[in-house]
Amino acid sequence: MKFELDEILIEEPERGSALARRVIERAPRSSRVSFVEDGRVASMPDLQSSDPFAAGKRRMVVMRRRSPFLMACPAGSAQFACCGLQVLVLASNCPMDCSYCFLQEYVADNPAFQVYSNYTDAFDEIDRMRANAPGRVFRIGTGELADSLAFDSIIGMGRELVEYFADRENLNLELKTKTDEIENLLALDPRDRVLVSWTLSPEAVYRTSEPRTAPPRARLAAARRVLDAGYRVAFHFDPIIAYDGADRDYREMIEDMFDAIPPERITFVSMGGLRMTPTLRAAARRRHPDDPMLLGEEVPASDGRIRSFAPLRIGLYRTIAERIRSRGVEVPAYLCMEAASVHQRVFGAAPASVAELNERLAIR
Amino acid sequence: MEPVAEKIRELAARRHIPEAQLSKWLAMGNRSASSLCEIAERLRLRTGQLARAIDLLDEIAVRDRSTIESILARDEVRRTTILAGSTPARAAAFLAALEKLRFPRLQRMAERLRSEIDALRLPAGISVILPKSLASDEIAIKLVARNPSDLSRLIDALKAREEAIARVFGILGGDEV
Repeated sequence: MKFELDEILIEEPERGSALARRVIERAPRSSRVSFVEDGRVASMPDLQSSDPFAAGKRRMVVMRRRSPFLMACPAGSAQFACCGLQVLVLASNCPMDCSYCFLQEYVADNPAFQVYSNYTDAFDEIDRMRANAPGRVFRIGTGELADSLAFDSIIGMGRELVEYFADRENLNLELKTKTDEIENLLALDPRDRVLVSWTLSPEAVYRTSEPRTAPPRARLAAARRVLDAGYRVAFHFDPIIAYDGADRDYREMIEDMFDAIPPERITFVSMGGLRMTPTLRAAARRRHPDDPMLLGEEVPASDGRIRSFAPLRIGLYRTIAERIRSRGVEVPAYLCMEAASVHQRVFGAAPASVAELNERLAIR
Repeated sequence: MEPVAEKIRELAARRHIPEAQLSKWLAMGNRSASSLCEIAERLRLRTGQLARAIDLLDEIAVRDRSTIESILARDEVRRTTILAGSTPARAAAFLAALEKLRFPRLQRMAERLRSEIDALRLPAGISVILPKSLASDEIAIKLVARNPSDLSRLIDALKAREEAIARVFGILGGDEV
């Protein structure tokens, strides 16, 4: 899969950076390359466009990151049981266009595909964090504000990232993707410290709601290949959408997953129901007016988000959790952005603390 | 579409319908837009009711891949517009029918839970309150007592129904999905 870009804008002071040079060299011929004074301005929405968010996805901005690279996962909250993942922001936005994507709200004010030329500073930041907490295991992911692999053929950060993490104890890297762009990874040795995870949806959700992503079977085939190349693999069933027939489709999807990857080789599975703030829902409906998956039986929940009503959502989690257990192998599983009471109902036990869950999910 | 559009704009202006809903209404297509216009006038739908009806119809049509005209022609919807009784009662029944079409499983689940709660035959002074729109798995139990013995009596009544109340919690927690 290759993604299209209309233009590539490079911050003038960064034109000599390794990343800018790589991008210029590998840029698709159809993409205009030009230089701008300030990438932040170039990242703002194009208000002349009928869909500024979609236009932003087709505009790559190579720029210096002015903020820290590490941040707490945006899904985290004291209201929920959390997994303790740290997010490494090396890029922002994504060339795919899932109808439910939270980025439609989260980066609405700077929708360009930003990629940060000073990304090696992130390694210093991680080194400092490690030095402050010797012995602690850190799970760090790059796939929250951008797909970890979508543009790796152009920006080529994957190699340096894998090599950096492979060399350090107590650090785990999670590369999260909906693509099958894994070629750059296959020649590297992750030394058992790198996990590649796929967001997995039933075929019905893929067809209606995940434009430009790889089909679920292609994601599973890619997962098998990286597993064979020495990486760990994990899956995110997120968002789980409670449409008519969802329980059957999710059960089938889990069977497909186990056919591709034996349960004992899956590092973890996370689950999260479709959840949208009213602003996100409005943006998603405006941009994807014909997507029936956005029109399930969602109601306003106590956290201000719109979610499937509780018995439906929890019932579907339970169906999925039972199917994961059905092979008789314990695959570590957890819920994202759900209260402790929901964990209790789904798994029959209160959720582990953030530190405990982080330890359980970590690669040792 | 022109005369219909004009009529819709005029009605929308009278009812102060927000721009977002007016756009959806105008985009419905001639026959669908006319059907809704006719019902809105006949039932004298108020601003909130009409805006909600437009949103519900739009969402049902996308989800079911049907036209709004055909949704309005469904028996359970059409019947509400010709019910005996007052116009406001018909308007409320019309909205309720659309809500039921939009959230069928939620409505069924709420009815199921209400029947479980009715079957508890709780004494006066105890009420079991379900979460709004079944949005969470919590239930509120309200006891209204005037003195300590009254309170003891209510607590005993609740204790005697512990198993049946556990079933209500179970249904809220997805036991029957």
